[in-house]
Amino acid sequence: MTPLPALSPRRRRTDLLARAVLATFTAVALIPLVLIVYYLLHKGLPAISGHFFSSDPTGNFLGDAGGIKSAILGTLELVALATAMAVPIGIGVALYLVEYGRDNLFGNAVRYFVDVLTGVPSIVFGLFIYVTLVVSGALGSSFAGWKGSAALALLMLPVVTRSAEVVLLLVPDSLREAALALGSPRWRVVFRIVLPTALPGLVTGALLAVARAAGETAPLLFTATLVNGTTFNPGDKMNSLPAQIFSDVGQAQNRLVTRAWGAALTLVLMILILTLIARTLARRSRIT
Amino acid sequence: MLMVAAAAVVPLVAACGSSSKKSATINGAGSTLAAPIYMQWGSSVKSQGVTLNYAAVGSGAGVAQFTAGTTNFAASDPPLKDSEEAALKKGTPVHVPTVLGAITVSYNLPGAKSGLKLDGKTIADIFLGTVKSWNDPAIAKLNPGVKLPSTAIIVVHRSDSSGTTAGFTTFLSDYSPTWKAQVGTNKDVKWPTGTGAKGNSGVAAAIKQTTGAVGYVEQAYALQNGFTFAAVKNKGGQYVSPALASTSAAASGIAVPPDLRFKAINSPNPSAYPIVSQTFIIVYKDLCKGGMTSAQAKAMVKFLDYGLGSGQSVAQQLSYAPLPPALLSKAQAAVSSLTCNGSTA
Amino acid sequence: MEAGALATRDVPPSIGGASRARHGDQALRVILMGLAGLILALIVFFLIFLVLKAHPAFARFGVFGFTFDNNWDVAHAIYGALPLLVGTLITSAIALIIGVPVAVATALYLTELCPRRARGPLTVLVELLAAVPSVVYGLWGVFVLIPNLKPAEQWFADTFSFIPFIGGGKVAGPNYFIAGLILAIMILPIVSAISREVTATVPSEDKEAALALGATRWEMIRMAVLPYARPGIVGGAMLGLGRAIGETIAVTLVIGNQPQIGKHLFDQGYTLAAVIANEFGEAANDKLHTGALIAAGLVLFVLTLVVNAIARAIVRRGQHGRRPVPAQATAVAVQ
Repeated sequence: MTPLPALSPRRRRTDLLARAVLATFTAVALIPLVLIVYYLLHKGLPAISGHFFSSDPTGNFLGDAGGIKSAILGTLELVALATAMAVPIGIGVALYLVEYGRDNLFGNAVRYFVDVLTGVPSIVFGLFIYVTLVVSGALGSSFAGWKGSAALALLMLPVVTRSAEVVLLLVPDSLREAALALGSPRWRVVFRIVLPTALPGLVTGALLAVARAAGETAPLLFTATLVNGTTFNPGDKMNSLPAQIFSDVGQAQNRLVTRAWGAALTLVLMILILTLIARTLARRSRIT
Repeated sequence: MLMVAAAAVVPLVAACGSSSKKSATINGAGSTLAAPIYMQWGSSVKSQGVTLNYAAVGSGAGVAQFTAGTTNFAASDPPLKDSEEAALKKGTPVHVPTVLGAITVSYNLPGAKSGLKLDGKTIADIFLGTVKSWNDPAIAKLNPGVKLPSTAIIVVHRSDSSGTTAGFTTFLSDYSPTWKAQVGTNKDVKWPTGTGAKGNSGVAAAIKQTTGAVGYVEQAYALQNGFTFAAVKNKGGQYVSPALASTSAAASGIAVPPDLRFKAINSPNPSAYPIVSQTFIIVYKDLCKGGMTSAQAKAMVKFLDYGLGSGQSVAQQLSYAPLPPALLSKAQAAVSSLTCNGSTA
Repeated sequence: MEAGALATRDVPPSIGGASRARHGDQALRVILMGLAGLILALIVFFLIFLVLKAHPAFARFGVFGFTFDNNWDVAHAIYGALPLLVGTLITSAIALIIGVPVAVATALYLTELCPRRARGPLTVLVELLAAVPSVVYGLWGVFVLIPNLKPAEQWFADTFSFIPFIGGGKVAGPNYFIAGLILAIMILPIVSAISREVTATVPSEDKEAALALGATRWEMIRMAVLPYARPGIVGGAMLGLGRAIGETIAVTLVIGNQPQIGKHLFDQGYTLAAVIANEFGEAANDKLHTGALIAAGLVLFVLTLVVNAIARAIVRRGQHGRRPVPAQATAVAVQ
């Protein structure tokens, strides 16, 4: 590479211009975040009150519109159930891929198909569950909370598997080999060495998947749908924050729109807390 | 993580059995035109042990879900078509008319007052996209002396399958051969122009947020949001604004067939508002064979009895017209005829 | 920590317990293999199922007929998905055109130009955009973006009306542009994260060589960083594209839901994902309609599959002779 000519004013100008452009674009990238936070607070805070969190949406056209209690509880239940379905299976599949399936045909096939699943839009999962479980009336009821959870679990599965596989691969093989050399059986190595070492990373991956699932609307639209009352029965239709917000967005009445902003604020705070916990965990426990 | 998840699931499962033993839940879906009044009735009958789960998803989706068996009743503005009735697998349907609702032609035009005179052909031309601005000569001709701005007209229509659309397009087809040929009458049509919104509430929201917008929404939504709406020319040649009186007038004088499947659009009554829609709750005649438990069947009848009883005056508060007396008694007779596995529900 | 812990905590069983250990190993292997097999079967079933249920629509209109006919007419049971496909492509293209340059610029700024102390907090801020769920973006789009941008959009449409598609037309409210803009914001964190990881792996020798030869900072970026990072950036952009194609809720709230191919940037349109969300309810009992919606879902799925496969191929091929990108980046960014 021949040395460049001495710094001309033109080159200096280009450099300054380019730097300014890059800095400006970065500022531009942050503007939406600032605006979203601003409006969430500006329009959502007025909705917040004790009544907001303690009463269900009433659906009344006039009079009290109610709060979002059933939506919050519904989201917690639906996501908890989905997590219970997706995380053990996801970590199990990742364990298989790392311990036994690193380089064989079956392992590669599983890995490939899980990758395929990552790219599926969330609405296709909802549609799949709708047609297989809801319309056929499988296991009794039609719309049900657990079916919504199943759709969410399908969504979370590839995320959990992917991130778990990455984390499990980071556990040094030397650890495994040392334990095996000392006579420990494979299953002991997995449960006593590999999993505990990878645990913080696994938790991080799971939390990020949970944060993603908590915000999803499309899969719930035609599985758990929208209902006003609080219910603890997964076999019933169950409300959820994203579904409630989606329903209130399309309303003309101001108090319903305000409720949507309040619910949005609540949802974003929940997801934010989950994400920050996950990232703090990740940073705290870098496996070297 | 597993522990946390398990701990969360256990109380869920434990609480499984404790879901409402005291009140029975009836699930319905459909018409957004009638949603406000059904929800109001729903909260009134709560004290009688009836919990209503109503999803305002539009008449089309309501009928589809009822047919698919995922709901107990359908709420539909137009009565079932023969093909829709043939698709029902669990028995014969009973149409119970509940209220009458006026479909307003609401507009968002700053400075304009309510009562802009429009006739069927002009409205059709607006929705066809041939009349593009508010000061178009066609509109000016009907409103001499009214100062009309040159704002562009933005059409708002339904994006979902809707009974309100069915009623509105029936009206348009009656007065505009072009509309009839090009677009036709249906719950779901191919709109030549405009923005699509979901539900009566979505259309109302779109009108509210867009200057120059015009759309068709049920009166309760228009009044709730303070919309200005048109005075529409009826069959007798009068320009009538939607109001409780003109809406009620639409039902009297209409032939009602024995199965109660009537249509109130374009009523011949000279003082009637021309775009008034009927709306039905559709259930299977044998509620239990249709999929309800006996507790649900009792709750369903309680709900319908309330609606056709004190519910009729509640409806007036929301600007829905009550059923005229002759029709009301026929409706109540239909409810009495509902059975559960052979015996009266 | 490890060796000492092993010695004191996990005293291995004596050789006599080997058969018990073998059973445990066998059980673990079988369970895990069964689990993986189950997932594989589920996914394959999922794909086959989609194809089967979409069959009525494909049988009636043909695969090409369904995908490329310009007529989505529910009332007459005619399902040609071209307006939806075009809408999906237009909004995704807008998302890429607006989002990728901003994301790459952000990545370059954060890795090359940013003062060290600000780097951490700014990175977190950019990634926070990913924490906002789709429905909240939709809410914000409807009540903040649409009304506030309308005057600017109308000015743009009027000023540039001589350019086909970009200019002209009247601005009603929801339109392709707003949908594309929101999608751009949504894919920003993904593209930025991957670009950042890729530019961070540029060997410092290359960068220092350029600087030593007298290059300005920008010239160093242009000559040493960008060529090296380009495959990774392109791959990241394609992953963002995949995300934009499948996005449903935010788009359906701001695109206008009109199943026609709009003639202008600021016209209403429809996308494959949005139509599924809007029409599934009324399709409940209609096999053809349900089939058409599932077929739309299948087209959507195939699109994302192709885009993601190309993205992965580009990233992998681009890593020939380059340092590997930390796998966490792609795993985390692709959620």
